[in-house]
Parts: sequence; C-alpha cells; structure tokens
Amino acid sequence: MTAAFAGLDACVHCGFCLPACPTYEATLDESDSPRGRIVLMRALERGEAPADDDALSWHLDRCLGCRACESVCPSGVSYGPAIEEARARIVAVRPNPPAVTAGLWVLARPARQRLAWWASRLARATGIPAALARGAGDKAPLLLQMFAMLAATTPSRRRTGTPTHRSRGRERPDRHAPGGTEATAAPAPDTTAALFRGCVMDGLFGHVHDATIRALGVNGVRAVEVRRQVCCGALAAHGGRPDLARTLARENVLAFDAAAPGVPIVTNSAGCGAALKAYGEWLADDPLAERAHAFAARVRDVSEVLVERGLVRPGRLPLRVAYDAPCHLHHAQRVTTQPLDILAAIPGLELVPLEGADRCCGSAGLYSLVEPELSRDVLAPKLRAIAVSGADVVATGNPGCLMQIGAGALLAGMEVEVRHPVELLDLAYRQ
Amino acid sequence: MTHTSIALAEELAGIVGERFVRTRPTELLTFAADGLPTHRAVPACVVFPGSASEVSAVLARLHARGTPFVARGAGTGLSGGALAEAPAVLVTLTRMGRILAVDAPNRRAVVEPGVVNATLAREAARVGLHYAPDPSSQSACTIGGNVAENAGGPHCLKYGVTTNHILALEVVRADGERVHLGSASGEPWGPDLAGLFVGSEGTFGVATAITVRLVPVPPTVRTILADFTALRAAGEAVSRIIAEGIVPAALEMMDRSAIGIVESSVYAAGYPTDAAAVLLVECDGREGAVAADIARAEAICREAGAGTVRAARTAAERERLWQGRKKAFGAMGRISADLLVQDATVPRSALPDVLERVAEIGRRHALRVTNVFHAGDGNLHPNLSFDAADPDELARVAVASREIMEVCVAAGGTITGEHGVGVDKKKYMDLVFGPDDLALMDAVRGAFDPSGLANPGKVIPDGAARPWGPWSPA
Repeated sequence: MTAAFAGLDACVHCGFCLPACPTYEATLDESDSPRGRIVLMRALERGEAPADDDALSWHLDRCLGCRACESVCPSGVSYGPAIEEARARIVAVRPNPPAVTAGLWVLARPARQRLAWWASRLARATGIPAALARGAGDKAPLLLQMFAMLAATTPSRRRTGTPTHRSRGRERPDRHAPGGTEATAAPAPDTTAALFRGCVMDGLFGHVHDATIRALGVNGVRAVEVRRQVCCGALAAHGGRPDLARTLARENVLAFDAAAPGVPIVTNSAGCGAALKAYGEWLADDPLAERAHAFAARVRDVSEVLVERGLVRPGRLPLRVAYDAPCHLHHAQRVTTQPLDILAAIPGLELVPLEGADRCCGSAGLYSLVEPELSRDVLAPKLRAIAVSGADVVATGNPGCLMQIGAGALLAGMEVEVRHPVELLDLAYRQ
Repeated sequence: MTHTSIALAEELAGIVGERFVRTRPTELLTFAADGLPTHRAVPACVVFPGSASEVSAVLARLHARGTPFVARGAGTGLSGGALAEAPAVLVTLTRMGRILAVDAPNRRAVVEPGVVNATLAREAARVGLHYAPDPSSQSACTIGGNVAENAGGPHCLKYGVTTNHILALEVVRADGERVHLGSASGEPWGPDLAGLFVGSEGTFGVATAITVRLVPVPPTVRTILADFTALRAAGEAVSRIIAEGIVPAALEMMDRSAIGIVESSVYAAGYPTDAAAVLLVECDGREGAVAADIARAEAICREAGAGTVRAARTAAERERLWQGRKKAFGAMGRISADLLVQDATVPRSALPDVLERVAEIGRRHALRVTNVFHAGDGNLHPNLSFDAADPDELARVAVASREIMEVCVAAGGTITGEHGVGVDKKKYMDLVFGPDDLALMDAVRGAFDPSGLANPGKVIPDGAARPWGPWSPA
C-alpha cells in the first residue's frame, strides 16, 4: 500500500469536499475535513509530522472513512487507500487501544467468535437489552449503547404466523434449501453465486443471509456455501492493521477459489463488499495478486446481482420506506441505484425521500465504539431526517449502519424499524 | 510555541472555550493555505468564535496586545487572502453558520458569516426566493468570504455581484467595536458604507451579521450549450450577444482542455470533447422574452460558427451542465499537481483577441493553459498547470501570469474580476494603480482600522502607497 499516498497528488485544495464530510459538518474544523486531513497525510508522508504526533492521529482517527469526499471530488483524489495507509503508519508506532486490538483478534478467526455470537444472540433473545435501551437517550452509558446495537440486530417479527428463520449463522448453512422453502414460484436455479458470510453479518444477521439466499433463489440464483471463508478484513484495514487484512484476504481468495472457482461472489454487507472489491490492490505485491484481482472482479453486492438479473415481481408490502445509502456501497463501490430499484419494485411499498441519505450515519466499523461522541454527533442529523421522512422502515444494506441507526432510533424511543433492503424484498416474496 | 503565544491562546480560550482554540503545530498546517495553495503561511493559533460577541471580545483582546488577525471562512479563496502568518491569529468563522432570519415578504435574509452560500440558496428556495451570486465554489464557500471578496459567479452577469445583494452589515472592527453599515430598508445616510466594506478582503474588520437581498425565482429558465471549432469564434459569439443588448442570466465559456478535464470527472455533463470551446448560455425571466432571447442567442452562435446547439430539456439536465462548469476548477488536479488560476477582466469586445494572446503566451512558455470563465462578464480565468517541484516551470508560470495580466490591462481590463487581490495579485497592482490611488485605498482602510491589525500585508503592495495626508504643494 506504499503507493497509497500518491492518490492524494491530484488534490488542488479547492475545498469542494468540505460540505460532503460528516465530521467537518459536526466540528466545522478544517483539520476534521478531507482537505485538512490530506494536508496532514502529506505532512506525515514528507516527515513534517511524525506518526506519533498527537494532533495528527487525533484528526485522522476521527475520519469515518466514509469516502463521501471521493464522490464529490472533481479531481478524483483517492482518499480511502491513503487514510488506511496513514492509519497503518500511526498504529505501527502507537498501537490501537486494547479493546480494538482484542476485537480484531477475535474477528480474525471464526472459532474465536462462536461463543461471543452465541452469547450475544442468547442475550438478544431475552429482550432485556432492548428493554433497557429503549428511550435511554443518546447520552446513555456505553454499555446501554452496546445493548441498543445488539437489540438492533433482532430479526423482524413482521408477518406473524409464519416462522421466520431463526438463523444460527454458520452452524447450519447447508440447511438452506436453494430458493428458500417459502419462496413463491421459485424457478429452477439457472446460475450460482457464492455467498460471502462475513463476521458480524454471520454472527448477528443470519436472518439477512437467509433472506438473501431466499431472494436469490426466487430469482434463479442458487447460493453456494463456501467453507473456510473468514472475515473480509475491512475492520483490520480501517484499524491500521493491513498485515491482518492481507492475511484474511489471502485466506478468502484460497477458500473461494477452492470451493467455488470462477463463481460470482455475492455479499449483502456494503463494508465487506468494498473490502472484497479492493483485494486486488491489497494483494498487489503478493504471489496471489492475479487471483486476488480475479476474485475482486467477481464480487457483487446482492442488489447488483438481483437488478442485473431483472427482479421476479414481488408481492405487496404496504410500508413507507426510506432508503439510507451505506457509505461503502454508495461512495466506495458507487452502487447507488440498485437498492432503490429493488425497493421501487415492491408493490405497495412507498419510497419516501430521506434528506442526506448519502451521508454517513456515524457507524463506520468500530468507530461508534472508539469515537462515541463524534459518532453520535454525526448520527443526530440522520435521526432527525428519518423522523421528518415519516418512514415506517429505514432500509440500509450494511451491518454497521443497521446497528447504528437501529440503536440510535431505539435509544431515542423512535418507532422506526431498520432493515436490510433484501429483508424487505424477501418479506414481499413471502406475502 | 513561545510564552507569549501560550498566554494568548489561554486568553482566547477564556473567551471561546478551550475546545475552540487550536495551537498544536500540526493542526495549524491545515490552515496554512486557502484555495490557492501556491501561497502558504502558518498562523500563531486558530480561534473559532461562536457568536458576534465572542468575535468582538477576541478582537478586543488581540487589539489590546497589538496582535494582528485574519478572518477565514471555508478557505476557498483564490488569492491567498485568508492566510495568517504568525504572530497573526486566524479567526475562523465556520461555527457562525446560522441563518438568523428569512423575511420572504420583504425578500431578504440575515445570516451569520459562516453560512455556506449553497445553504442560503437552498433555504431561500423553500420560500420561492433565490440568492443570486453563485460562485463556482458555492457548495463550500461562505457568505462572509463572499462579502470580503465581493464574490461573483456565473449568474452575476444579469443579477450583479455580491455587493449588489448586500443590504446591511454588522461589523466588528479591529478594536472589537461593533458598528452597523447600511440598512435593510435603504441607505440611512449618504455614502454607501456597506458597499465600501464589501470587497475589502478582511482588511476593514469582520462582518458578523449580513443582511442579503433575495430575488424571486424566475418563472422560466432556458439553457443552451453551443460548441465551436475555434476558440476565437466562441469569443466572437459572446461579443455579439452582448453587443445585441441581450442580457443572459449567465454566459460561460470552456475551452477544449476544460471540457476534457470535466468529462473525465464525476461531473461529466456530456460536453462535446472534440469542440475547441463551448458556450453555456442561460436566459431567465418571463416565458416569451426568454424564448426570444434564447432563439436570438442561438442564431448568433450559429452565425459565429457554432456546430451543434443543444438545449437542456429538464431541470436535472441543466443542473448537470452547471455542475460540470462549476466543478471544473476543482477538477484541474487531473492534469497536474499544481495549479494557478488567474482572474482578470477585459471589455467583452476584446475577448477574441485576448483569448488568442493568452494562448500564445501559454505556447511561448510551454505551459498548459485551460480556460473556463465568465465570458459574458469578460471575466477570464486562465488556469496554468504546472509542477511546483520544477523551479524552471515555476519561474515560467510567474512570467506568463504577469504577461497575461499585462495583456488584459492593455486591452482595457483590470487585474481581478472576483477573486480579490489578497497576496497573489499585489504584484500586479502597479499595472492599474498609481501611488496616489493606493494612498487613497490605504487611507480608507485606515479609517476603518487605524491599527492596521486586520489582515495585514494584503491588497496594497508594501511601500507602494504615497503617505496620505494634507495636500502638500508639489
């Protein structure tokens, strides 16, 4: 990733990125803006500021990594890889806080996560975290905030009478029948796609995976399970651990090439998708470089796959839905219209406009836990916009956003539900 | 950091709160440049006041210590006007971003200086009104900065530049005193003091409340894009449109280089990349008049040699055409790491000749020149692309810049249309002003700020002004 800073060379300091930056909006300090951070990164690169400089790491750590600045940059500055490189240089001399290091360690191996996810799902099932967090306010202690995030992962209880899949993630992936058992008029699959399961998605959002598999099935795509796949490495890359990110990337390339060679790789997590699509760059100097490039080229967000195929018409779902674009889908992958196409295809579903739908919600991986105060400030306008939209459901295709917005709404005592677009599509197919 | 500056930072923190003072050297680097990074200066510290009374208290404190200061908005200026060199303190006004009032029946609004231009435009649109000055940086730049620079923009051709839209100002002078200039309902007293303040580039004080004029959203807007196979032909079309008495809402030109750069960016608007130049002509107003003006403008373009003339069919298409134009400057990084945008005006009849002379200057100094500018105003923006690491190229940029200015002045124009003088244009002031002119400017400045602490070292070249005083026998 040594060439990462070269991507900043195109910056002419015009400042057009300032209004796109959620942290600049919150602090109105140039040092918390993309342009200011580019100045800091250039200072780091030139040795004008040491990597252990307090002010440098303070402002660079406060970057959400949402890459909204890239979407508005007229000169096409490549900000994302540079901020990851800067983080790596900083972490090399100032290690992450122990909680982050521990978190990355746990997420690096599926075996280390099983107990944590099992315990989390058990706690979630009691309904206690949700009950404690509801209406606790955005200044609630961190533990309550974490309860709220956990509660936000609860599968939907809509459509009573039909049991929803209570997924236990990776423990029973083979039991998902192709096409989904309840899918209406599931055609015989004419193609396959390998499902990327991820870490948090698999641990807490098994129901979204189930919905993904069913919705793909309805549309003639059989989801193939790939064993030995691991976390995508996005959190490690954002957390200044490119070594760990590359290790995970190599494992995934080998696992998918072994189990599903040449098959499209489908993900329902925007953060994972952005990382998987960057494997070519991550492993550019690796013996696996060529395979990593080919792997990256096969990665598709589930919304891309579905829209490319042309959706089988879903059933009626009379809901007012606001779409909030995950940054790593909208800005990093530039997948902007497909999730909206999916929602618009559902009869009865009223798509209501959400102001600032392309702005970060403040989740940003581990950010909401590491920078809780600024994360909250970034979330606040999002919650206000959701309230104004009058939506029953906010749809967003990323685990972090689902948890952040869901938790924020819960803490604020808002009635709105937060769902993955594919969950809504799946629900519509099962009407 | 010196003891004096530590003590100063503590005093300022006592006024605005510790959170809103920056002193760490690395943080100060991010404030060392505005939109023209060829000039750099590091301030002693940065202070973020949150209200007019905090601005007043901060300036009074600085005045008492004899410390100079520079006001800064979003830092999108293009003449180095918002640079503060230690011991100067940078007073950043971004926190003062409140729209204090929108008075729709009387078509005016009162805003704090940190309000972003596009935010004001959006809020005005909610009540069917419109803030007309629209600098290309409007998505980021602030009204306070617009006032300081007397900012223009594509639509200032018809509607006038910032000064035509400022009704009243609350200003904190360099000593912390608050004064009120102009009035929302007309000039209360003889001279146009609010007008005098607009364009003073931060050297008269800090505007803390700005009353702006809003105009009704025109009922009809039509936009055409005409492409030309020669830059000269496009220039001639502009001269003729103006000579015919048509007043387009906007009349902009982009040359082949600018088109190529925009078309390779996220703001690609479908401009024809094989054209030598395009003109973007917009007329607004009542349906019939607009249709007639656009038809005439189109005919003139064709007579001047336009190939295809395309009309924006939807508001979204028009917006795309404008976004491409307005983001062109920011897209210049696609062709080189460093950039100097020039800003000069010429009589519109001189445009075809001046454009050719500018191109010739670029060729002679082996520099890539990109033109994207307010043609209808005769306001040129030649962008010179270069590599700052190449000292020879840097020297050629300096020579070419001066030659471009000389050509514009010789054609009857002047050295800035809207970017201000700041530090970058000081060296050209002698092309248009003599010692007596500069002395008068200095005296006016001294009337607002006798201390000389507000934005020192800007606008007036050092030592160029004849001391102002009682007339002495020659």
